Amino acid sequence: MHLDDRLFSDKKLYLPLLAAVLVLPWLPMGTAGPYVIRIATLTLLYMVLAQGLNVVPGFTGLLDLGYVGFFGIGAYTAGLLTVHYQWSLWLVLPLAVLNGALWGVLRGAPTLRLSDDYFAIVTFGFSELIILVLKNELWLTRGPMGVPGIARPDLFGRVLDQPWQTYYLILFFLLLVLWVVVRIRSSRLGRAWFAIREDEIAAECVGVNVARYKIIAFALSAAIGALAGAFYARWFRFIHPDMFKFWESILILCLIVFGGMGSITGALIGALVLIPLTEILRIVLPAEFSSARYLIFGLLIVVMMRWRPAGLLPVERE
Amino acid sequence: MLNALLEQSSLFLQQLVNGVTLGSIYALIAVGYTMVYGVIQLINFAHGEIYMLGAFLSFSLVSGFFGIGLPFALAVTIAVLVCALAGVLLDVVAYRPLRKAPRLAALITAIGMSIFLQNLALLIWGAQIKSFPREAVPAFLFAPALQFGDVVISWLQIVILSVAVILMVFLQLIVHYTKIGRAMRAIAQDQTAAALMGVNVNRVVSFTFALGSGLGGVAGILVGLYYNAVYPTMGYFAGIKAFAAAVLGGIGSIPGAILGGGILGLAEVFGGGYISSSYSDGIAYAVMILVILVKPTGLFGRLSRDKA
Amino acid sequence: MVRNLTAIRGRFSLVLLFVVLLSGFSGVVKVQAETIKIPVASPFTGPLASFGEGVKNGALLKADEINAGGGINGKMVEIILGDELCDPKEAAAVATRFASDPEVAIVIGHLCSSATLAALPIYKEAGLPAITPASTNPQIGKSSPYYFRNVYKDDFQGDFLARYAKQVKNFKKVAIFYEVNDYAMGLKNAFIRKSKELGLQIICAESYMAETADFKAQLSKFKMMRPDAIFIPGYAPQATLLISQARSLGLKCAFFGADGLDDEIMLKNPDADGLFVTTPFLVDRGGAKVKDFVERYRHKFAIEPNWFAANTYDAVGIAAAAIAASGLDREKIRAYLAGISAKEKAYQGITGATYFDENGDCLKPAFVKVVKGGKWVSAQEQLQ
Repeated sequence: MHLDDRLFSDKKLYLPLLAAVLVLPWLPMGTAGPYVIRIATLTLLYMVLAQGLNVVPGFTGLLDLGYVGFFGIGAYTAGLLTVHYQWSLWLVLPLAVLNGALWGVLRGAPTLRLSDDYFAIVTFGFSELIILVLKNELWLTRGPMGVPGIARPDLFGRVLDQPWQTYYLILFFLLLVLWVVVRIRSSRLGRAWFAIREDEIAAECVGVNVARYKIIAFALSAAIGALAGAFYARWFRFIHPDMFKFWESILILCLIVFGGMGSITGALIGALVLIPLTEILRIVLPAEFSSARYLIFGLLIVVMMRWRPAGLLPVERE
Repeated sequence: MLNALLEQSSLFLQQLVNGVTLGSIYALIAVGYTMVYGVIQLINFAHGEIYMLGAFLSFSLVSGFFGIGLPFALAVTIAVLVCALAGVLLDVVAYRPLRKAPRLAALITAIGMSIFLQNLALLIWGAQIKSFPREAVPAFLFAPALQFGDVVISWLQIVILSVAVILMVFLQLIVHYTKIGRAMRAIAQDQTAAALMGVNVNRVVSFTFALGSGLGGVAGILVGLYYNAVYPTMGYFAGIKAFAAAVLGGIGSIPGAILGGGILGLAEVFGGGYISSSYSDGIAYAVMILVILVKPTGLFGRLSRDKA
Repeated sequence: MVRNLTAIRGRFSLVLLFVVLLSGFSGVVKVQAETIKIPVASPFTGPLASFGEGVKNGALLKADEINAGGGINGKMVEIILGDELCDPKEAAAVATRFASDPEVAIVIGHLCSSATLAALPIYKEAGLPAITPASTNPQIGKSSPYYFRNVYKDDFQGDFLARYAKQVKNFKKVAIFYEVNDYAMGLKNAFIRKSKELGLQIICAESYMAETADFKAQLSKFKMMRPDAIFIPGYAPQATLLISQARSLGLKCAFFGADGLDDEIMLKNPDADGLFVTTPFLVDRGGAKVKDFVERYRHKFAIEPNWFAANTYDAVGIAAAAIAASGLDREKIRAYLAGISAKEKAYQGITGATYFDENGDCLKPAFVKVVKGGKWVSAQEQLQ
């Protein structure tokens, strides 16, 4: 049985993991505490992103190179609404998610007939256009100056200003997203996606409504990206077009390639290993090398594709 | 009134000159994408990095970054040869092992190589914009060659255009009138059949990479001189635009890439000059998306069923 | 059996990974230091690294001087560098790191206005006072009671440049080519406002982005309008390209800019001859104190100090005075800085007297210097 099926059903597997994640903020870490919690929060955030991306290339087999566009749409929707109207996170978050899903469908609909590299190129062009809009529409986004001073997340009217609180918040979102993707994976919908991934024409022949299921995948993937974006805006409290560059799409892609495309557990492990690694490299490497640390990621992708194309946790064919 | 008209028409002419220059550079890069796609159906994402490498190598050799300063002509020749070699290496090391793997694997590898090379350049040369030292470059390049009223054409612009034209003619001659050119066309049509007919596929693919990368390197050097700026991310933007040009012309078609490059260069300059300078980069993306959605075969495309 | 083995191996490698990660973290945990930390945030790598170089050297020189004199109340000063590449995103990350460090009581930085504005809400919320030696955007002082600066504001600098262009240079028509960022846009707006007042004609304003390398389309447009001069609110690495490209298109007009163009890179560009810029600090305008600073700086770093070095040198001096008077208490340090509110209480540094208004801003003179034969030369005519 693949780990994905056991992730939410096997108590022996998920209870210790959950316990470990829950106690993390309370471990004695001295002055490094806030920093470690920050990285842990970042890691969980990327786990959410990796789950969202995984839906499209992992489940339906289409390479999405513009996923970060939805992350950006979510972040800017939530960030701008917060700055202008001081709304609660629980009001801006659903709006950001809806906006993300909407763009997912808008982007997905014209691309239904495309396959392989052409789909990849269109998604790539889409995210570059989003960055261009974020950079140039100064009246809306302040362009390359970014949006500073976004309010922190809140809960029941109270501001979550402790690092452990935001950590638990993103943990909650991660569990929510995991619950959704694990459920869908073994549902009718999930089986339809896998059928499309294995052979789109065959799936169509046996009566799978390919267009409809693809659109659902695009919407779900985009919605998860936007959810992560909304959290990110309220957590980091500053958003900038450069945070949503093509490179971020590749980083997230790297996470799922590392863990194994299509594997839910794999996407979690990819983020668990690679995100802390980037942060450690930032500190360990001398300043002049630290901005080039992504070199390792490029190399990692190449090596994985050459020797472990299915990732660390390959999904067995059903 | 007459004055304003004169002003507008000289502006138009000046932008035309700028656009043709830019277009011939895009065309030089775009043929690299298109030739590789023609033979192995791979979007070589790292091609823009080869172009960047051409600019950095020539800059380094000329300015003595590696310890010795070489004469301009020698430095440029070496840079182009190294680019051609780097293209071959890229194929042999990264893409060849994946020839039989799913196409997504090769595409992802290409993206990985692009990121790797870009950061390698950042590591070696730093993020700072580098300029060719003026004394090491033939001085006439920066002087105006022709001047009509307010319209100036520099020697460099003439050089860029003529180098592009000469290389394109040369390329067409190779593809259409040499044995290896015929082999390239055969592989593009049907790789298996070509192999059965005794064509050494790997050798031809290597040759294609060498040719495309060499041209990319030339483009990198010309751009480095034209803007007097060499920096690690230069290949990323130029690469996307040239790729858009290749798509516009019909990916796989060499005349298509040339025409696509020209159109895109003009569109960008006129779009930037007359409509909005801030969205001039967006023209390339919009063209790319529209062509793929509306007419994936481009202007000169000849895509077979399974590639569409 | 084979499956089991691979499973065990898999689990083992996971454990190994955890160990590696944790050991990575333990490297981060620092021992409680017996020094006084003064963090300095600036771009130390990336395109504007040469500005940051001045900031770093200025800070180190002041710290050396303080430590040679016995430190602050017996404790040595340690300069902690936070590299943010002039990138607002990185600046926010660096600011979070400083704000969450309980040993940090005051920050010197940031350099670019966009970076400072990104960091500002974070310091404000943490109640952490900061002095920027270089960010000139007018919004900064107004936005936070914790932000101070020992440099003039863009409205002053923009006004000054407009007056200089009109009254000294006698320009009639000026075109503006600005970068889209908080610094350059603040400067551009101030310049346009003052120009209208003075009757200086602005014929065109175009913008460019930080990663732009091709300015030819807009420059061709400028050329047809025949400006007397082009004003470039922006930073040196692109301004130098822009000037070269303008010359290659046959533009013969003058170029000028503000303190963002005050960089050595301009001296390597033969096309930049005649470019003039504003700067807060001129070596030959200072007295004995300045000469001493310049000599020690040259001796230690073997280069000429720029204005970033001079301003940072003074900013660290002000920070040290604040810590000496009020200890490592963020709130008390803020109160101390806010108390330097009049000329007679001013901090006397190498850049003159520094005292803050109710927003934490200060008044400083601006000077003009010109590129002549590959050297910066003080302009013959200065304005008061």
